[in-house]
Amino acid sequence: MKERTFLTLLFILLAVCVLVTAAHLIWAVWAYNHCSIIYFIAHEMWQGR
Amino acid sequence: MKNRLLVKQISALAAVFIVFAAFNLAMYMLLTGRLANNFSGASQSKMIDVARYLPHEPGSELARVESSLKFKAEDDLPVLDGAAALVLVYAAIIDSVYPEGSVTYEGGVFSDDNYYGENFAPDSAMQYKNTVRGYRAIVDGGTDILFCAGPSDEQVAYAEEKGVELVYLPVGLEAFVFFVNKNNPVDSLTVEQVRDIYGGSITNWSQVGGANRIINPVTRLPGSGSQSAMDVFMAGRDIARKSPFALFGGSIGFSFRYYMTGMVGNEAVKLLSLNGVYPDEESIKNRSYPAVAQFYAIYRADNDNPNIPVLLDWLLSEEGQTLIAGSGYIPIA
Repeated sequence: MKERTFLTLLFILLAVCVLVTAAHLIWAVWAYNHCSIIYFIAHEMWQGR
Repeated sequence: MKNRLLVKQISALAAVFIVFAAFNLAMYMLLTGRLANNFSGASQSKMIDVARYLPHEPGSELARVESSLKFKAEDDLPVLDGAAALVLVYAAIIDSVYPEGSVTYEGGVFSDDNYYGENFAPDSAMQYKNTVRGYRAIVDGGTDILFCAGPSDEQVAYAEEKGVELVYLPVGLEAFVFFVNKNNPVDSLTVEQVRDIYGGSITNWSQVGGANRIINPVTRLPGSGSQSAMDVFMAGRDIARKSPFALFGGSIGFSFRYYMTGMVGNEAVKLLSLNGVYPDEESIKNRSYPAVAQFYAIYRADNDNPNIPVLLDWLLSEEGQTLIAGSGYIPIA
């Protein structure tokens, strides 16, 4: 593929990934502020005792 | 040559995708997957399903006593409201003392607009605004008696600003408890260790005999009953800002005992002992548990509804205190 095509694809992929990740982070902050604390702690992952 | 370049280009694109996908997947596994949908059945435990505690309904999960006090429909019925953890106390009072038809529940669908699912009719003797809005309602006059833990500084200031004097009548005892995931090896902390955790000087579970894992000290909404109790528990120390990475650590949270063990009930969390004392009925009664809290019936000093003192006298009588005990709390009288 031509370098120009490759760079365009790379830019689009990066933009999509950054947007999705930013949306995920925003959702995480919103959900953390609204979630059940008991549910949040109950679903924590720990190594077995 | 061309093929090698194409493979390199595709590999680069795939690498970018994999890095982002791995990051998002890890964050989902460690964090966002646990937050779930706030209004899903599993996480409504934060807000309780008030429909389970409706007075005069045969299937309600309420304690009942044969009451010598019976209000009539024509009486000036005090409107009761309160914290989520105390819904089953004031609903049981209405069930035992108020006439049928005094509560109108219009259904509680949880949504952003109806955060607590508190669809009671405006003229219903039972309301459910929970602590933050309940304090405002008692000051503003929409509620006659509010069942809650002690107020926050802001709530005291709000009443003062409005020129309203509130009366706080202790009617029962409860334990302020700390809880962790059941797989966290720590079972007990001292009061000082908890203050150090929330104060920011202890940041890893290994510092209190646990695993080498960062501590996530979870707090509640400002003004909520448990957050106000936590502010009192800290005895003047500030709650520190935690590291953002703490979100991925092992959490500790706080609440009230019966809310945790009776109303919500979740076998994946466990209560911690404080100073080696586990919060149970016995240790609350004899006050050996270090964080015993009172809860109150709160009313405006200038409220001239004659049935408020009648109802509160009854609540402190043997019948009323039996109802408190039957509701899972510890009588004060």
